Amino acid sequence: MSHDHDHTDPPADIELRVKALESVLAEKGLIDTGALDELIDIYENKIGPRNGARVVAKAWTDPDYKQRLLSDATAAIKELGFSGVQGEDMVVVENTPDVHNMIVCTLCSCYPWPTLGLPPAWFKSAPYRSRVVIDPRGVLKEFGISLSDEKEVRVWDSSAELRYLVLPERPAGTDGWHEDRLVDLVTRDSMIGVGFPKSSADLHQQAGA
Amino acid sequence: MPVVTKELVPLLVQTGASARVAEEIPARFLPGDTVLARNVNPANHTRLPRYVRGKVGTIVMDHGVFVTPDTAAHGLGEHPQHVYCVRFTAAELWGGDASPRDTVNIDLWDDYLQPS
Amino acid sequence: MNGIHDLGGMHGHGPINPPPVEPVFKHDWERRIFALFIGAFGGGHYNVDEFRHAIERMDPAHYLLGSYYEHWLHAIETLLLEKGVVTREELDRTMATLKGGH
Repeated sequence: MSHDHDHTDPPADIELRVKALESVLAEKGLIDTGALDELIDIYENKIGPRNGARVVAKAWTDPDYKQRLLSDATAAIKELGFSGVQGEDMVVVENTPDVHNMIVCTLCSCYPWPTLGLPPAWFKSAPYRSRVVIDPRGVLKEFGISLSDEKEVRVWDSSAELRYLVLPERPAGTDGWHEDRLVDLVTRDSMIGVGFPKSSADLHQQAGA
Repeated sequence: MPVVTKELVPLLVQTGASARVAEEIPARFLPGDTVLARNVNPANHTRLPRYVRGKVGTIVMDHGVFVTPDTAAHGLGEHPQHVYCVRFTAAELWGGDASPRDTVNIDLWDDYLQPS
Repeated sequence: MNGIHDLGGMHGHGPINPPPVEPVFKHDWERRIFALFIGAFGGGHYNVDEFRHAIERMDPAHYLLGSYYEHWLHAIETLLLEKGVVTREELDRTMATLKGGH
């Protein structure tokens, strides 16, 4: 049985309402249609979790960078060229053998756009937002992850204007790997805290498939 | 009113609009302080969720000074104040059945907190 | 406000069921309303707190049933109407014209 995360199909007139709103605002000279096209192109095609993966891979290979990232994430992320809307003030939290971090926004759907792009539907949905704070381990099980009781699960509810990114642990068996190769291991979910990076074996499997 | 033109888009996207306010305001709390999230039920906009109200936590970070949503959402000004990250144990929030190690860390405005 | 948006700690919302892949936008109108949000925000017609509050003021049943970008449409319409940037008549007239053009 499938369960639609957006719950319902949108009402039939929603497309018309959006068109009417855009058209009235354009007629009044309050918006520039070309600017809207440009915004869509940027967020649909140019900004995505690959940006965050670059940040993570650099932190894995450059201890000074990692230090800067953990002490002033906004500045360190900007060094790589990622900044702006919904990433104006960033915090990076580090996974360790003792701590697993997870990000949520229970009140709306805040998400670090410059490093991860726009959020997936499940991140914005009531099931995720309601449960992460009360049952983080149950949520992780839904993502196929079971953590030892010894580990602390640290949930970050981004209720203010700080946006959070998880720095996952570097996978074993990647000693000596170049940053550019490590980037391919970093998944979006690992930077939200509902997944782990791919292993070196996963990459080989992908290449062989 | 300014209109966002196509030429302005890249700058707008890369700059955004930080809610941080460059004002020197003394912090009421320091990392390590124990605080109580106030048990209040305002009918206006607030970013103090019900699940932490009346609960005791520990300041883990002072993020600096930010615009207050409770006033800014209603045309009542920026009312700049400190925002802190407050750590609550799962047991404090959800009771004895919760995992003894787990925590929820949430960013809260100075006005939402009182010393405990 | 003690609104329906304040979801943390609730039970009964069902499984998360994350799909392995999904498009950034599902429908073209989602693209437009996303960009309209930034365009009108950048134009100074509302701030992010007013925007979030407009979503929180939605009818609770509509909030839970409506998709994310439907919330956005609702909030932008609400704020622009309340602030007098657009009028109900202008929106209705334009919708009627667009409908007729189909």
